[in-house]
Amino acid sequence: MRRTFLQSLALYATVIFTLVIILFPVYWLIVTALSTTNELYRLPPTFWPTDPQWNIFAKVWAAKPILMWLWNSMLAAVGSVALSMLVSVSAGYALSRYSMRGGASMGLFVLTAKMLPATLLVIPLFSIFSSFGLIGSLWTLVLAHSTMIIPFATWMLKGYFDTIPKELEQAAMVDGCSPIGAMVRVVLPIATPGLAATALYAFVLSWADYAYARTFLVNSPDNWTANLGITTMQGEYVTYWNDISAASVFIALPIIAIYLFLERYLVGGLTAGAEK
Amino acid sequence: MTDTVQAGRRKFFDLARPSRQHFLGYILIAPAVLMVAAIIVWPLILAIDLSFQQVKIPRLGGASRPFSLSNYTWLFSSQEFWLACWVTLKLVVVVTAGSVAVGLSTALLVNNKFRGRTVARLGMALPWAVPEIIAVVIFAWMFDTSFGLFGWLAIQLGFADQMIPWVSSSTAAFWAVAITMVWKGFPFVSIMCLAGLQSIPSDYYAAAKVDGASVFQRFRWITMPLLMPVLGVTLVLTLLWVFRDFSIIKVLTGGGPLRSTQTLSIMTYDQAFQYHNFGRAAAVGVLTLVICIIASLLMLGRRSKSIY
Repeated sequence: MRRTFLQSLALYATVIFTLVIILFPVYWLIVTALSTTNELYRLPPTFWPTDPQWNIFAKVWAAKPILMWLWNSMLAAVGSVALSMLVSVSAGYALSRYSMRGGASMGLFVLTAKMLPATLLVIPLFSIFSSFGLIGSLWTLVLAHSTMIIPFATWMLKGYFDTIPKELEQAAMVDGCSPIGAMVRVVLPIATPGLAATALYAFVLSWADYAYARTFLVNSPDNWTANLGITTMQGEYVTYWNDISAASVFIALPIIAIYLFLERYLVGGLTAGAEK
Repeated sequence: MTDTVQAGRRKFFDLARPSRQHFLGYILIAPAVLMVAAIIVWPLILAIDLSFQQVKIPRLGGASRPFSLSNYTWLFSSQEFWLACWVTLKLVVVVTAGSVAVGLSTALLVNNKFRGRTVARLGMALPWAVPEIIAVVIFAWMFDTSFGLFGWLAIQLGFADQMIPWVSSSTAAFWAVAITMVWKGFPFVSIMCLAGLQSIPSDYYAAAKVDGASVFQRFRWITMPLLMPVLGVTLVLTLLWVFRDFSIIKVLTGGGPLRSTQTLSIMTYDQAFQYHNFGRAAAVGVLTLVICIIASLLMLGRRSKSIY
């Protein structure tokens, strides 16, 4: 059924109106970054700066170690994703292909792990890491983020492997492939989209962390992640909103870029398991 | 001679043999089990153990204190804990309801066929990709007490006659947290609902139309029942997120003013890392976990499998 002209108009108007409201905070972040301090501390607010301060980005980049923060976030994310994927891929494969004692209760375990509050786990992890002398090191984040990633990644990958027919490996093994060879050479290449989706979602999870970074790294500024660094720009008495907004743009950009260009994979990761 | 030994060895390590297959399964799953045991199960046991000890700052390997229920008795008799429970409950209800309302309506909106809908979909769910801390930076400025946009807007629209003290007023701080969380939380609901809507065959709607069902009837009798499973899971996941969230509240209000935004999560963290009462903190955390598990099992019932 085709819409009448008026119905189309109403639909487009609603969509645009909703988008404007939803995206306004992001727009406001950019406007704040580009405004002069005088314009910020004035009412009514300026909805587009008369003289956009584009050099604020270069200024903040030079004044704050943003590149270092981003690099640390990247190291923690890549480290925890690599470590988690390494163990999760083979575990997910095993759960999908072999019937094992206790395999069925894995689901219940994943469910519990999903509910585990980071604020609870951070307490024993803090004592464990202190006794190993790890506090202040990025390794704490690699391990702590793995606690969030391994359970869901294993379960998600099991789901992906379940969609790949067993006959493929059986054929490979008949042709003389070992079971491991069949997994590495036949199943993993086919599962690449699933692996990418899982890894990407895990990366976003790690990047978003603040609780662990704040607890383990607060006293070692050289290892601050992006999220932790940005909160230190929030002053006790005065916050330079244009500076912190400009820095925020740098820190939000990587994930927004991943989202815009690889949305299909991310959403695949999000909705996996919900459509059953 | 050597040939037979090698043949025997090869046979022993021949993992392709059906009788060895389950063995290979255990080898493949072992690294994950060991990792999970080391970084999740062991710490969790330590935390539960800690919650039953009167301990300020625990030292691993140090002498364990005698078993004691003092942390729990302190909790149940302290006003702070019950206030935190009440704040958590309020926030969970408000944010979950808000996220589901906004998420479901945006999903229904972009489920229509129109030109540019791919872009509209990306835009609607964009806040999902904004890290929580950055969202807090944006909203903290919009909720600024002297020059924030929301205060000015409230005056313009006649809701207030002067700037609203978002940080120092209990009610205002609660709503500031709730609004920020809804903005950050609704895209997940929207993405999940859209995926659910897309899996409903269009024949159903066509058939209902032939039978003369109105738009509302089609929504009530086709969309809602078929979307319910997805919506239920999404609701629980959103609820769990609000329950356990730390960064938004911690950075936006720090749990204040006067603990009016202090949820169980914030209380757990502050007891440990601000007041150095690790035993009490562990007790709050363990109770939060227990509440989470009971709540989601109650809500999902036998459908709880679909949450994995």
